[in-house]
Amino acid sequence: MASETTKVLYGLYNDEEDLKKAVKAANSDHLDIMDVYTPFPVHGLDPILGLKESRLHQLGFTYGAIGASFAFGLMSWVFTRDWPIVFGGKPYWSVPAFIPITFELTVLFAAWGMTLTFYTICGLWPGVKAKSLDNRITDNKFCLAYDVTEADDSTVEKYRSFFSKTGADEVNVKTI
Amino acid sequence: MNITNTQFEFAGKTKTVLFAGMALGLVCLVLTFFGDDAYHTRFWSNFLHNSVYFTGISFMALAFMCAQITAFGGWMTAIKRIWESMAMFIVVGIVLMTVMVISVWGHLNHLYHWNTPGIAEVGSATYDRIIAGKVGFLNPVWYTVGTVGFLALWYFWAVKIRNNSIEQDTNETPSLDYYKVQRRWAASFLPIIGFLVCVFIWQSVMSIDSHWYSTMFAWYSMISMLLGALSMTVILIIYLKSIGYLEYVSRDHLHDVGKFLFGISVFWTYLWFDQFMLIWYANNGEETVYFKERMNFYPVLFWGNLLLNFVTPFFILMRNDTKRKFGTMFFVACIVFFGHWWDFFYMIKPGARSAAHHATEMQAGHSTSHSAAPAHDTHAAPAATEHATDAAGHTADTHAAHSEGATHAATDTTHSATHDATTAAATTAEKAAPHAEEAHGADAHGEHGAVDPSKAFKIGYSFPGLEELGIMIGFLSLFLFFFFKNLEKASLIPWRDPYLEESLHHETGALIESEQDDKAGHDHH
Repeated sequence: MASETTKVLYGLYNDEEDLKKAVKAANSDHLDIMDVYTPFPVHGLDPILGLKESRLHQLGFTYGAIGASFAFGLMSWVFTRDWPIVFGGKPYWSVPAFIPITFELTVLFAAWGMTLTFYTICGLWPGVKAKSLDNRITDNKFCLAYDVTEADDSTVEKYRSFFSKTGADEVNVKTI
Repeated sequence: MNITNTQFEFAGKTKTVLFAGMALGLVCLVLTFFGDDAYHTRFWSNFLHNSVYFTGISFMALAFMCAQITAFGGWMTAIKRIWESMAMFIVVGIVLMTVMVISVWGHLNHLYHWNTPGIAEVGSATYDRIIAGKVGFLNPVWYTVGTVGFLALWYFWAVKIRNNSIEQDTNETPSLDYYKVQRRWAASFLPIIGFLVCVFIWQSVMSIDSHWYSTMFAWYSMISMLLGALSMTVILIIYLKSIGYLEYVSRDHLHDVGKFLFGISVFWTYLWFDQFMLIWYANNGEETVYFKERMNFYPVLFWGNLLLNFVTPFFILMRNDTKRKFGTMFFVACIVFFGHWWDFFYMIKPGARSAAHHATEMQAGHSTSHSAAPAHDTHAAPAATEHATDAAGHTADTHAAHSEGATHAATDTTHSATHDATTAAATTAEKAAPHAEEAHGADAHGEHGAVDPSKAFKIGYSFPGLEELGIMIGFLSLFLFFFFKNLEKASLIPWRDPYLEESLHHETGALIESEQDDKAGHDHH
């Protein structure tokens, strides 16, 4: 998301277990990991990376609640105040008939809200250039990345020896 | 991972408690047998209610396990023996439903209106045109097949699957032979239970309201039974853990059962609402009467059902972490278990009460007025009721014309049963008065006096009384007794199941901050 470029030193692992071991080793060596990229969600990776529990679901609930109240409120207003019409001899304020639409709008708002939130967090907008370290991390490689933009040679050397120690298949530098 | 205590032992103390529970249930059953109407409706409806619910739990536990096996669901292998043992209760269900079948053949009760002698014979005092069109299915033979017959069939599958699973433990070298056989039995059970459970429910529960039918009913009750089975699973897992078994069953397993409990509760609500809304929207008298009667005269049952089975599990289990907490899950499982027991109470009691009331009236000699308007009594279409209400203030002559028009289903019998037009008018007027109260009594317009006593609030019908709770405890004890007896017969772990390793290392990947400290400590082992 950051506009200025970042120089990244990253290692690619062949297996998620190797990656998890590497993250644990980095933790015990007090190395500051920039990020980890995997082709699929790896169970148990979040706690060792020290990530907090996601708050996305709170937003999901909020969007859903907005959708539900919007749908129910709008229908109640339209059918009792704005333009009351009798349908099938039912009362104007026919709650059972409103429920399917309330449900649909709850899902719609939650889905759209979450999609847009997700795009915002990931910095994905039309025209954005993808900052991918390596195409293979969306397929079969597990990547551990260090930010070396301002690192001196000894730190970089420390990272490189870390990668060879933890069995990285490949180590590369890329500016993104 | 600590895999010890894999052999369950049914402690003598637990047995004593369960025997006490069964004794309590028996005492309560006997109590409800006396002091009720001549047909012992409270006793029989309680017996049917609990038999259907607990038997339903056993075969739906088997159905759920079969669905998991068919779908390669490996996570549940560690708790598989619980479902296998629950399924063995079907054999008790066969005995319980045999009692119901005997009562139907011997006319020992009057839960089922279709079981009235002469109901399908034109000209008979008890003739009912609507039911006469259904006797091809609503008859004692089909009742026997649909309840005991199908249960026996399901039990056959239960035994096959269970025996195969236990024999698998003795498998010396790892092989997929037993597993492949098990998959075949599991997959073939799914269509068998899926289709036949509908017939079981139509016969045992829906036919109580013989005039009424709903195409959603079977699915909705089936899911009710499934939720009973799932909540029972949660209760049993937590209980077995608390006494030192199933140490390898983790929060992650509980989380997955919790997701099913949550998701299927929402599905239950969906089916419940589907059934309700279609009937509400179409507003056909013969369909609407089912809900109208329940909403007007049994509001506690009606709304309590939604509160227990939708609101509680939905809002409590919505969060990620509540599905992983043993205390919360135990609480919700108890509510849902009781809630679906309540759901069956709601399905069975009002209809059984009406059917018995109708039969009592017939016995008391009101048969002329009844045969004049069979569709008009317990299952009156609201349209007919409203017409009768409108006519209440008119002269007897106008009134008769109105009512005859409204109860068109029965006009032909009106003519044959009453030769004198004046008598007919008087009879219908007599009938119209209580119906007018029915229609308006609940709306506090009861200008004609109190509500029909056959629909008034009564413990045991409008609300479960202490006896009902005692009977539930009795049946629950019986269920648990058989469950523990079967659990004892085999190891708690299916040692040679190919999915065992997957199950023992099952992780949902949920990240719950409050659990992180425990987990960090756990990793060091």
